[in-house]
Amino acid sequence: MSTLLEVRNLKTHFHTRDGVVKAVDGVNFNLEPGKTLAVVGESGSGKSVTALSIMRLIPKTTGVIGTDSDILFKGESVLGMDDAGVRSIRGNRIAMIFQDPMTSLNPVYRVGRQIGESLILHKGLKKKEADERAVELLDMVGIPHAGERAKDYPHQFSGGMRQRAMIAMALACDPDILIADEPTTALDVTIQAQILELMIELQERTGTAIIMITHDLGVVADMANEVMVMYAGKQIEYGTAEDVFYRPLHPYTWGLLESLPRHDVSEKGILLPITGQPPSLINVPSGCAFHPRCPYAKDVCHTQVPQLTSIEDGHSSACLFSGDPGFRRETASPSREVV
Amino acid sequence: MSDRDDLHHDAHNPHTHDESPVDHGELRDAAGHSIKDQSRSLPIPPTDDIITDGGRTLWGDAWYRLRKNKLAIAGLIWVIFVILVTLSADLWVKPYFGDPLAMDTTLGANLQPPSAEHIMGTDKLGRDVFARVVYGARISLTVGVIAVAISVAIGLIMGALSGYFGGFMDTLIMRGADVFLAFPYVLFAIALIAVLGPSYRNVFIAIGILGWPSIARVFRSSILSVKENEYIDAAKAMGAGHMRMIFRHIMPNAVAPIIVYGTMSIGGAIITEAALSFLGMGVQPPTPSWGLMLSDARPLMVRAPWLMLWPGFAILTTVLAFVLMGDGLRDALDVKMKD
Amino acid sequence: MLKYLIRRVLQMIPVFLGVTMLLFILRAPGVLPGDPVRMITGERAISDTLRAQIVEEYGLDRPLPEQYVLYLGNLAKGDLGDSFQKSRPVVDILADKFPNTVKLALAAIVIEVIIGISAGIISAVKQYSLADVLTTLSTSILVAIPVFWLGMMLQLFFGILLKRWTGDTIYLPISGMTSNRFPDWAHMILPAITLASVSTAYVARIMRSQMLEALGQDYIRTAEAKGLSRRAVIWRHAMKNAMIPVVTFIGIDLGAMMAGAILTETIFNWPGVGYEIFVAIGQRDWPVVMGGVIFIVFAVMIVNLLVDLSYAVLDPRIRYGGAAE
Repeated sequence: MSTLLEVRNLKTHFHTRDGVVKAVDGVNFNLEPGKTLAVVGESGSGKSVTALSIMRLIPKTTGVIGTDSDILFKGESVLGMDDAGVRSIRGNRIAMIFQDPMTSLNPVYRVGRQIGESLILHKGLKKKEADERAVELLDMVGIPHAGERAKDYPHQFSGGMRQRAMIAMALACDPDILIADEPTTALDVTIQAQILELMIELQERTGTAIIMITHDLGVVADMANEVMVMYAGKQIEYGTAEDVFYRPLHPYTWGLLESLPRHDVSEKGILLPITGQPPSLINVPSGCAFHPRCPYAKDVCHTQVPQLTSIEDGHSSACLFSGDPGFRRETASPSREVV
Repeated sequence: MSDRDDLHHDAHNPHTHDESPVDHGELRDAAGHSIKDQSRSLPIPPTDDIITDGGRTLWGDAWYRLRKNKLAIAGLIWVIFVILVTLSADLWVKPYFGDPLAMDTTLGANLQPPSAEHIMGTDKLGRDVFARVVYGARISLTVGVIAVAISVAIGLIMGALSGYFGGFMDTLIMRGADVFLAFPYVLFAIALIAVLGPSYRNVFIAIGILGWPSIARVFRSSILSVKENEYIDAAKAMGAGHMRMIFRHIMPNAVAPIIVYGTMSIGGAIITEAALSFLGMGVQPPTPSWGLMLSDARPLMVRAPWLMLWPGFAILTTVLAFVLMGDGLRDALDVKMKD
Repeated sequence: MLKYLIRRVLQMIPVFLGVTMLLFILRAPGVLPGDPVRMITGERAISDTLRAQIVEEYGLDRPLPEQYVLYLGNLAKGDLGDSFQKSRPVVDILADKFPNTVKLALAAIVIEVIIGISAGIISAVKQYSLADVLTTLSTSILVAIPVFWLGMMLQLFFGILLKRWTGDTIYLPISGMTSNRFPDWAHMILPAITLASVSTAYVARIMRSQMLEALGQDYIRTAEAKGLSRRAVIWRHAMKNAMIPVVTFIGIDLGAMMAGAILTETIFNWPGVGYEIFVAIGQRDWPVVMGGVIFIVFAVMIVNLLVDLSYAVLDPRIRYGGAAE
């Protein structure tokens, strides 16, 4: 099986009035067909910009992707393509759904038409065929009475239904990759669980690879094959879901796991929740960007920039102390109880 | 050790919850811009904005922004210039250029083209056009300021009654405002003046009465938004009376939008005065009013085209100055305009 | 949908009543310092018998509520009084002129729509470009320009200066509705431009800001993520959303144009309702002035209602009950 998507040294910088924002600064990963990669981090860690860079949706006026960066889709460079080439992939081979389903659908067009739009564009379907296929897709994502609901406008849908419609829209052309940017964050907890189940189920049926972007590790616990943790535009931990959840290496990941609502009570006083704010991406702290918030920071962390280093087979971390066998945390299952 | 303690205290900083659904649309930075908007278009954590804005007050901040708006400053300078010129006119215009009311019935003294003696020429009664344009500014500015003062006074009372007491009073006043707004502006002024009789005083009464609904609406919505704040309940609990509530707690918050509307309205009032005088429903001859001068110039367009040039130019620049100032104030004070 | 229609019509009723009451109060005896008989007869000397006759006929000595009912009754019958100058019912005079006012207003709307919308779109799509800066600058100036002066300047340019510079040709008619030198439609050009000027500036501004706002919305990103071209994103997804407030403005503006026509019609001697009011002002023929005001106010209100109802067609959130939020 060949690699579906390779991201090589991705650097996406924004030139703003206040300075250069290094939103993504040297990210590498691979995505295999049918697999799920979770990209986890706080807001501003660069996870959404990573996704938008893959889609080539970075605003041209301010955003610059590094010349030594590359994104290969099925071996072909996405960054090297002309606009028409990129558009033929967008929504067709790589589709994306967004955080807020309330605002992501165009309020003045019927839901069915919005789903059919990419079918007309990429698959050359006639309007009528696209409408019919849109109904099937709505049915597939679990919208009852799909035939009638396709004729509704987005404001007639509930939040959960709109996100289902977004998923239907994204899957319309049977894409190889589905990028989901915080798809459940804006939804109620019960609806969140339903949407996640739907995505898992659809992935089994269609074999689509998923890049799941979230700030909440609990969301991806049940579906991710691999997990990439981002902080201040850089990868700080990368590994299989099992590695990252059960044998996390980076203190930041420990904090993320600890801040999850859990059914077992952790030993108090040993782990600290993440305190403070994410750093400014214009003036990134010296040394390890996490050091101002890291409870284990030593003097060396202020000066030396840790590189992402492979610690175990396929499990790497960007912490100066990750190689130290005593610097470890075992955690219990982070799987979230659905309330 | 002390560093670590500081970090703990920050644990509840809102930005660590930036992506939770509850916070959407609620977070505003110090300047009032929605933080969500910023983070979407440019995924920078908004922390810098919050921290940089130290002790500057709303007004200091607004003045700083206004100063950077070159067009608004140009408008301000022009208005000050016009005021100074027209106020000092008795000292230098009358003695050196001529009395705006002094007719010259000598043969050939009227309808002179611009010359060294009469830099803007003379009108059909031999009066110096420059002197009339300069003195016309007094009429325009007086009407503008007094009319808007009347509008603001009525608007504040109506808005206060409506927003503060609500209920039937609110319905009655707001329906009344709808009635006034249903009238085309100039037409109502004409009807009112037809009844009152055309005169200088009746012009600013008519324009003043017409302007109240917009001010009342603005003030009312300020009151409604302030009323929802908790500190109002606190003040009420402490036994503050209605008047004290309105002046101490509500007025300061409503001042900014009223200043913006007021500034823009002065420009509108100046144009309306000119239009009414032009139609013969305003300032009566021989008072030098820009609108009246244009009305006199109209039948002489072929013989003395210069007559219509300067009064029109004076209206245009003065009104433009107020419009630019209003635009600048709106941006500087960050007032949202509804229409 | 039907609920919306009914609600809008019902909302109109208090405004209608309020407007008539306000107009009634304006001329009711003892409310304002003016003389009500003067408002009915115009300004001329009248005999005591005629005065008594008018007081009797209009019930000016009866209690105010009774007078108001009488007044409403007259309005309902379409009776706006008589012009003493022309010895004709005011409503007949106005009805004759009204089509000309509508014609001019429609011509102005066409200009406003074409120029205003395209300037706004170009300005938004190419934000900060030269075209954008020029649009912003010229809209500020147009908003501040007195329309009657703009009209006079156009007349000066096309009627006098251009003729002087180019020999003896007049390129555009600068007055009236017909002449033997030009086709009728040519007479409409300058007045329509004048009448449209301020509104065109507003349309361009609103279009620009709405377009910018629409382009920043999440659904635009969704459309881009689908692989649609920039052009399709702008024209299909941003435009339709941005147009809703613009159409709202243009609708309201159609009413405002009938009212604004008084200045434009005066400048260009365009024989519409506004010009008629201007002439009546000069003759102190108050029944025509007041009747004209009432006539236009009602026309404006009816147009606004129709426009309001037509939003339903544009915005599905209105058509199918209120938004979910």
